[in-house]
Amino acid sequence: MEDKKNYTGPLMIALQYNDLFDLDSISTSTDTDALPNGRAFTFIKAVQTVNERLVEQNKSDCLLFEVILISKECSEEIKMKVDESVKHYGLEIGKFFFCKKEELINTLQSNKVKLFLSTERDDVYEALHTGIPAALLYDQADDHVLNQLKVIFSGDVIGFSEDSLDGLSEFGFSETQIETIKTAKICMKEFAVLIGQMRRRFGQENSPLCTCVLTSWGSRNVCASALKTLREWGLDVDEAFCLAGAPCSPILAVVKPHILWDGGLLNMS
Amino acid sequence: MSLDPVQVMKGQDPLPKTCPSASNGDSKASWDDNKDIHENVGSTKKPKPGPVRRARKVEGGIFFPKPENAVTIAVSSRVLFRTEKEQKVFEQKGIEEYLRYQVEHENEPFAPGPAFPFVKALEAVNSQLRKLYPDSEELFDIVLVTYNHAHVGIRLINTINYHNLFIERFCMTGGSSPIGYLKAWHTNLYLSADTEKVQEALAEGIAAATMFMSEKQIEVSETQLRVAFDGDAVLFSDESERIFKAHGLDKFFEHERENENTLLDHGPLKGFLEVLGKLQKKFYAKGHRLDCPIRTYLVTARSAASSGIRALKTLRAWGLETDEALFLAGAPKGPMLEKIRPHIYFDDQMFHVEGAVEMGAIAAHVPYGIAQKYPHKKSTNTGK
Repeated sequence: MEDKKNYTGPLMIALQYNDLFDLDSISTSTDTDALPNGRAFTFIKAVQTVNERLVEQNKSDCLLFEVILISKECSEEIKMKVDESVKHYGLEIGKFFFCKKEELINTLQSNKVKLFLSTERDDVYEALHTGIPAALLYDQADDHVLNQLKVIFSGDVIGFSEDSLDGLSEFGFSETQIETIKTAKICMKEFAVLIGQMRRRFGQENSPLCTCVLTSWGSRNVCASALKTLREWGLDVDEAFCLAGAPCSPILAVVKPHILWDGGLLNMS
Repeated sequence: MSLDPVQVMKGQDPLPKTCPSASNGDSKASWDDNKDIHENVGSTKKPKPGPVRRARKVEGGIFFPKPENAVTIAVSSRVLFRTEKEQKVFEQKGIEEYLRYQVEHENEPFAPGPAFPFVKALEAVNSQLRKLYPDSEELFDIVLVTYNHAHVGIRLINTINYHNLFIERFCMTGGSSPIGYLKAWHTNLYLSADTEKVQEALAEGIAAATMFMSEKQIEVSETQLRVAFDGDAVLFSDESERIFKAHGLDKFFEHERENENTLLDHGPLKGFLEVLGKLQKKFYAKGHRLDCPIRTYLVTARSAASSGIRALKTLRAWGLETDEALFLAGAPKGPMLEKIRPHIYFDDQMFHVEGAVEMGAIAAHVPYGIAQKYPHKKSTNTGK
């Protein structure tokens, strides 16, 4: 497809600093200790692994991940602590932005962020609703997942036809939710195309990047449709799951993703 | 069966224009074109507007049970379908070539594998359960759990469509171990072609068995599910088998006689017999005892007059029963299995499984217990 050529790196991902570090245990008196790890920690490490492997293969590769930190206004002390902690852990953070909550969306848009990641579902849906690609940062507790970045795309968002999505209103989804899901599909595309390009730099085995499709509500044919669409976008996923209404959490606990694109459709009970 | 390539799905249109009739024994129902949400499978009625909480049930439709309420059967792609050709490509040419081959042949459905008749029979039971208990979640739920990469996904889905199977749940793990997923799905029985994975599952307390394809296939019933079990090291533990292997037949008889009133310990397939029994009772409750669509068999080398008594007493104490108990006193199992025609027969000894498969019976190997360390020698005659 012609518009694939317009998608170039770097793949900029925005995180909130309170996902990267555990701020609840901040004690402003001690200024030498770095902040303890937060939920995004394994994500950052995995991203760095992918970058290392990409550069290993091609020193001048410009399709790399770039992570920036965005957060609400906070005290100078906290800003310094964040800065120190980033250095302490050797995290590769491109930029820092501290802005008011209302300015969050603008900041994301003006920095051409290709993915906004957050553990807060409301933040994710708000961003999606304004057309910013956003996905859930899955609460990843496992330390083993440092060497492979795992991304899940929602088979429902990609695989359902427009008409079927409209039919979701009969299952209790609101107009707004349905619109968000439709927007999510559009937002997902650029990210999927770039991830597809990245994924192809590695072979089937020993890849630092693992991509998956998870269909929570749709039938197997919806899942097949999602697989085909992703292939058209240049991404052949590694793993596929079709739940047909079964709760997601037990499966997600085994898959252990970092990035979870769901558009609001996942059955998390 | 003609092998016309299945219609390939388009991105915008999740359903083919000519829909195969919904399987699961319900030939009148048809897919509702626009609502390709699983709840609407088989339903021509509009669902009632539900509360904000996503409703999993649709009145009049076929819905999917919660994994913990259903009897979940996980099957791998290599036992549900025949994939020998593709296996060879993988073994000889490696994974990249294997995946390329699969994608190239995406529109060619696989032929049925050894677990296929069993799965079809489960669906037949389901359609009868749904008629009697339309709101119950106590059904068989078949999940495809495969080691395969999602590249093979489209071919697998095309094949499921082609054969009209009622499988909407799957995990294609892209090479990672399927064991975690088995637990997440509350799996009651796992069938695979890979002995190692089956042993892993058994070690986790999940009933599991390996299946093998045979060229000869005895015809099996399409309306009644028949499941046959060996006794020792399948329904029961391998404790008695150990005595036999270590000390011989006489010692075995002596031991069984002395311990007639001591219950045997349970084996890996006991739980599966138990859930089958629960479903059978649902049929009995609605007056279907004589024509129950589920029938179970105990096929053991023990003798009715002696060592078999302990087996029966144990089953009774567990509150379990099989519809038929066949004590062969060491006679070969093949002819009996030919009579029974089970959709699946579980045995811990490869020798018996191979014999059964040679005769065309569908047999599955449970790699559990002492028999795995000391496989039966074809020349000796076992009589228990």
